[in-house]
Amino acid sequence: MTTMDTNTTNQTSPGQHKARAVTYESSRNAPVAEYKLIDAIRRGEIPEPTIHKEARATDAVIDIDRFNLWYTDTQALFDVAMKVPRGAVTALIGPSGCGKSTLLRSINRMNDLVDGVRVEGSIALNHSPIYAPSVDVIELRKRLGMVFQKPNPFPMSIFENVVYPLRIDGERRKSVLQEACEKSLRAAAIWDEAKDRLKESALGLSGGQQQRLCIARAIVADPEVLLLDEPCSALDPVATLKIEELITEISERYTVLIVTHNMQQAARVSDFTAFMYLGRLVEYGPTAAMFQKPKLIETEHYVSGRFG
Amino acid sequence: MSQLPHIQTSRQSMPGAETGPPGSPSGHRRRRTLPSAIGEPMLWLTGGALTICLGMILLLFAMVLINGSRTFWPQPIHHITLDDGQELLGIRTDHQQATETTEARTLYRVGNRDIGQASFRWINDAAIAAIETPEHAVMLEREAWGIWLGYPEQIIRVDEGGETDVVADGPVAFFDAFRQLHEKARQAMERAERLKRGELGDINHQIGQLETRIDQAEIEAGREGPPLFRFSWLVWGLAGLVVAGLAGSVYRMRDYGTQLGSPHARKGKMIRGSATTIAGMLLVALLVAAPWKADAPTQADVEAMREHAQVREAELLEQYETVLAEIREIEDANSGLRAVVREPTTERFSPTSQTQADEPLQVGQVVRMVRANTLSVPEKFGVYFSRWWEYISTFPREANTEGGVYPVIVGTVLLTMLLTIFVTPLGVIAALYLREYAKQGLVTSMIRIAVNNLAGVPSIVYGVFGLGFFCYTVGSYVDTGPSRDARLGVETWWGLFVFTSMAIIAGIAMKLWSKPDPGKVASRSNMLMQRASWAVWGVCAVLVVVLVAKTPYFHGFFEARAQDGTPTFGTRGLLWASLTLALLTLPVVIVATEEAIAAVPNSMRQGSYGCGASKWQTMRRIVLPGALPGILTGAILAMARGAGEVAPLMLVGAVKLNQDLPVSTQAPYLHADRSFMHLGFHIFDLGFQSPDSQAARPLVWTTTLLFLTLVFMLNLLAIMLRSKIRARMAGPTV
Repeated sequence: MTTMDTNTTNQTSPGQHKARAVTYESSRNAPVAEYKLIDAIRRGEIPEPTIHKEARATDAVIDIDRFNLWYTDTQALFDVAMKVPRGAVTALIGPSGCGKSTLLRSINRMNDLVDGVRVEGSIALNHSPIYAPSVDVIELRKRLGMVFQKPNPFPMSIFENVVYPLRIDGERRKSVLQEACEKSLRAAAIWDEAKDRLKESALGLSGGQQQRLCIARAIVADPEVLLLDEPCSALDPVATLKIEELITEISERYTVLIVTHNMQQAARVSDFTAFMYLGRLVEYGPTAAMFQKPKLIETEHYVSGRFG
Repeated sequence: MSQLPHIQTSRQSMPGAETGPPGSPSGHRRRRTLPSAIGEPMLWLTGGALTICLGMILLLFAMVLINGSRTFWPQPIHHITLDDGQELLGIRTDHQQATETTEARTLYRVGNRDIGQASFRWINDAAIAAIETPEHAVMLEREAWGIWLGYPEQIIRVDEGGETDVVADGPVAFFDAFRQLHEKARQAMERAERLKRGELGDINHQIGQLETRIDQAEIEAGREGPPLFRFSWLVWGLAGLVVAGLAGSVYRMRDYGTQLGSPHARKGKMIRGSATTIAGMLLVALLVAAPWKADAPTQADVEAMREHAQVREAELLEQYETVLAEIREIEDANSGLRAVVREPTTERFSPTSQTQADEPLQVGQVVRMVRANTLSVPEKFGVYFSRWWEYISTFPREANTEGGVYPVIVGTVLLTMLLTIFVTPLGVIAALYLREYAKQGLVTSMIRIAVNNLAGVPSIVYGVFGLGFFCYTVGSYVDTGPSRDARLGVETWWGLFVFTSMAIIAGIAMKLWSKPDPGKVASRSNMLMQRASWAVWGVCAVLVVVLVAKTPYFHGFFEARAQDGTPTFGTRGLLWASLTLALLTLPVVIVATEEAIAAVPNSMRQGSYGCGASKWQTMRRIVLPGALPGILTGAILAMARGAGEVAPLMLVGAVKLNQDLPVSTQAPYLHADRSFMHLGFHIFDLGFQSPDSQAARPLVWTTTLLFLTLVFMLNLLAIMLRSKIRARMAGPTV
């Protein structure tokens, strides 16, 4: 049904603007069984997202504007527009297949690796557009750090894993590498566990340690934004807790954009939360507001687990 | 997702879940077990098949091991008296039971070819009157003419005047004296042999080189036609500066257009690509038309060279004489010592050579004397191992039926190593492109199928190709350059050269502009541009081949020798054989590497890209190290396959006998142009082309055992290397 809807949307693209003009403010007070907004999205419409005024930050480190993305013929993102505020943790939530990972991967252009991806609209990182024809995608990725769903340390020593981004930039000075390694392992709260086994294979670490190592690797080159793609979904509760503490610590120095399945996690770690559904941004605002008194009944029901 | 999530669908009962009325046992149908469900026959069938397979393989190994390892075990010598009174010495080697048409008979190895008999003889059991194993019978392994069986009588010393002096008389004294004298005499003979092979060979080689150099100068002096265009030193220097400048600016421009948001990314790549191409082609041009090649030697130069060479040649000849005299001296000093070992059939003793039947054998000519009938078991082991050592460490004698297989082992090992060195990088790079760079689609699938089919081409086909292409086409090009008719005119060639450079730059440009903008799908014009760029690259490849094949500037590296009728690379040799085998084993490496690369988890690649690594950095630092064990497995398989291949080698370079090893102490140490001996071919040669096939038969098994061991050891070495790398790469949890 999703595919069919998408096709309909593509065919009737002139009608999109008309659809967007319709507002759904009434749904806040609607009876429980009626999700007008969700129904509209399922019909292929693109409703105007509800964005709290706190989230219309002037100082946006990432500015996503009317961003659309297609995997060959299937549209995965629809007119997504949001600003990721500097120095805060922003969480992307939503049910499976809502495009939150796709959106995250669009920011460091990891989607370029997938055949047949097409985009419209723009994303700017610190005011420079990242989908301009002239952008060197390698340089772009050097400005961002990314942590994946499954811990993916490289099959080399812990030390080499952490300094990998520096190595590929041609850094050879042992002292610089060692200093950077220690600094970033400390920042990732894994220094105490790893300092005596820096020369050992990173694959010998536990899952949670591996993920913290990946975070250390992602921040070693001082990225402008740290992108976390469900970093705890493959970890046990204790490891998850550690990572969450780490995210809170790290957010003092870095802007973090995190995709998560876990509502509680979003509530615990993030300052802003964006709720997405079927490739559309639905509601975006400060986390406290989003979880306690969201403007849309859909959001309220989603964050409280009554739907999705 | 056809249901809205908030609408709970009522639990539906599974259709067909109810069977019969509940609570009535009669409603349950009893299920039967079919005969086909019984598993034992399949167990027996599969287990039996595996047993047969294993049994055959074990049988093969056992047969090679038993037959191969017993060849050198000393056998007793029998003294046989026949019914007609004839007496002879022989070693029992085979026996046939009586059949309807033949009587029971025994095969004896009788040796002693000098007295005009074949070295093996069938004797009917009925014709034998008596068999003894005499205490003093000995078997002499001689340098020439095979073995000699007989009874030792005397050791005598013949001095220069012809005076004979008996050193030892009678078997017991003979053995004592022989034990004392033989080792020294043998060492002297071996030293003489080394001098002949080493120093005389070196001097001959140097004289040959001198003559070749003069011939070469003469050819160059006599070359007709207008002089070729050469850059003058001034132009060369200026062009060199341009190359350096271009290289420097490319280096300085390495960041140009790579900044985020810069409008110059593609332009930067274009500028870097064309500057590199121009610099490279200019460098090639400078080297082709280098000013220092402008002066061909004149006839006067040749004369001067010849005079100079004559002096040097005289020196060398003098050295040659000195060495020769030394050899003679060694030989003379030892030629006096003779062993008289008489055989019973004709009462003759072993002669020192065929033409000197009345002079007894020199002690130094005896490789080994075996008193087979009185040896204790440890002594037998001593003989056994000394024969093995001789076998693997010396040159062959007597049409390969005697002596060792040292050059054969060297040839096989060299060939295998060279082929591995050639095939591994080529196959790995090809597989990398196929798996990592190439867009997966119809074309790559077709290439994959083609590569797999390549593995099924009969190996002799590769031999024919190797001979026709490598030996006769590429080889003769290396020797003499393009043939006279194939050479292009200078203007045409340079025109083509410039055109090729421009075509390469055009290819780069088209490729760059065929890529769609980021986030955009390739448009029709992009696709067309892509196709066009492939066409341009194809044209470039053809042009480069034409430029190389038709250059007027190249006259080969070994012109003089080729004109003498002894081509260097334009004939069968180690290099071409290993390249042919490399081609043969290429599919193995490509397939194994591709699988290894595909097995590197995508999450690793993603992680690396996420860190800002480029494609090449990701491949070099993540993919290749991760795939290394698999790549090495491919190399090992290729090595095993290549080492065992014989058919193509018969065409491209394996020979029956090779006195000049492909490695030597003479520069360039590895003579890849020389022909070589190969264990596989050696087995064939021993078994089917030997003049004395009975004598060679046990050696076929021994050589097979050796071949098997060698291939096994090479594999083992590679496997050890792989496990070492694997241990270093992988962590404890993988």
